[in-house]
Amino acid sequence: MTDPISFASTEITGLIAGDAEEWDRTGALPLDLLRKLGADGRLCGQVPATYGGWGLDSAANGAYTAHVGSLCSSVRSVMTSQGMAAWTVERFGTPEQRSDFLPLLTGGELAAVGFSERGAGSDLAAMSTRVRRDGDTVVLDGHKVWVTAAHYADLLVLFGMFEDDGDSEGQEEGAVAVVVPASTRGVRIDRVHDPLGCRAAGHADITLDEVRVPLTHVLGGAALPLSLLVTTALAYGRMSVAWGSVGILRGCLTAAARHATVREQFGVPLGEHQLVARHLAELLVAEQTATRVCEHASRCWDEGSPDQVMATVLAKHISAGNAARGAATAVQVLASAGARDSHLVARAYRDAKLMEIIEGSNEICQLMLARHVLGSAA
Amino acid sequence: MDTHTQGQTTTRTASTVHTADQAEKDVQKDILRFLQTRTKRTWQPETDIFASGGQSSLFAMELVVHLEKSFGVAIRGKDLRLDNFRTVVSMTELVHRLQAAAGGTGD
Repeated sequence: MTDPISFASTEITGLIAGDAEEWDRTGALPLDLLRKLGADGRLCGQVPATYGGWGLDSAANGAYTAHVGSLCSSVRSVMTSQGMAAWTVERFGTPEQRSDFLPLLTGGELAAVGFSERGAGSDLAAMSTRVRRDGDTVVLDGHKVWVTAAHYADLLVLFGMFEDDGDSEGQEEGAVAVVVPASTRGVRIDRVHDPLGCRAAGHADITLDEVRVPLTHVLGGAALPLSLLVTTALAYGRMSVAWGSVGILRGCLTAAARHATVREQFGVPLGEHQLVARHLAELLVAEQTATRVCEHASRCWDEGSPDQVMATVLAKHISAGNAARGAATAVQVLASAGARDSHLVARAYRDAKLMEIIEGSNEICQLMLARHVLGSAA
Repeated sequence: MDTHTQGQTTTRTASTVHTADQAEKDVQKDILRFLQTRTKRTWQPETDIFASGGQSSLFAMELVVHLEKSFGVAIRGKDLRLDNFRTVVSMTELVHRLQAAAGGTGD
């Protein structure tokens, strides 16, 4: 773990390790904690210092993300949302928009990013949210579902199909990402009350009824192809989920190793039983494999290599799958000791399953990887 | 994020038309080579890369990152529209325009 990270890691361990179980049970994170982490730039670590950010590279941010993920996947999910919002502003925003919005995201305001809709999950092309231009404003109508951290968010970054008012020329058909303050009239945020995992991450559905914001809140001020817009925004989310899944594996590995050392059955520690020992070996393999593939993807990001695109998909796919299997293994090793709801490995078991679904399901990742194979076939 | 200073790029200091033309040809050659390496097939400068059965939005992202790294430009906002990446010619024009704009502001 690199140096700027170690202080922050020690600090956040003190802030969340003791309470993560309770937050999972009650389904709520303390708002003042999230605001403090936000104001310290911890929720979106890669925002440059010029915008008040921490200025980490992908590798260092990954290390920190994994650390938080080993303690509490709900807090880590909030980081994923905030980071993805910041990345979307950074990538698509004009210089003015970057100066306007990024300091908010490193100043204590909380953000969520809305892609999915009832009829548009993996098939985002079916997106029906409309962003209609009306003079110097745009009007949003639609419905988003399962928006992580939306319950806490001050700012929503929402994707929708753009409809011009016919006044401007040269507008391309396509989609836009719009920064919408959650307090804007016409925005309704309804908590998803019983999510399977990351129970305190503040998942919510968002209803948009004639929501009007200034045209200056449309990132980049122009429509882009939906697939390019979404793929770019999700790239950050996938890295974050991948590293978060490494964290889940580390938490599980530590818990399983401790239990297998301390707990005795048939007169010897559990770890002396070969079938249990194999579980430990498999957990280590899962954690190490996921770590290496995430390190590779982060290196590609930090070097600006075009390989980062597929490396990110691979890292997300490997890490999420390993975390889901690894968490199940950890519950098996701890058995009754870990079978209590909200225990670290029980949380990991539920949280990791969600990691196989969000930011591109296992199946969508496999399709992308397969397409990459076909696209580069001789 | 910006890596303007480190572009291993063709220089913009030359003022003659001849050199500018050569610079554009080098950019075009580089992009054609990248496409060929990635897709294992040859491309013409005017061919639509994203036409039916062609490449995906993930591949478009690879192109964005490649152009940024190779030519020291930052492609942001509305410059990310697909038309800029549709052909080798359009990508070459984009790189040229961004390099000129960066040079123009003394960046």
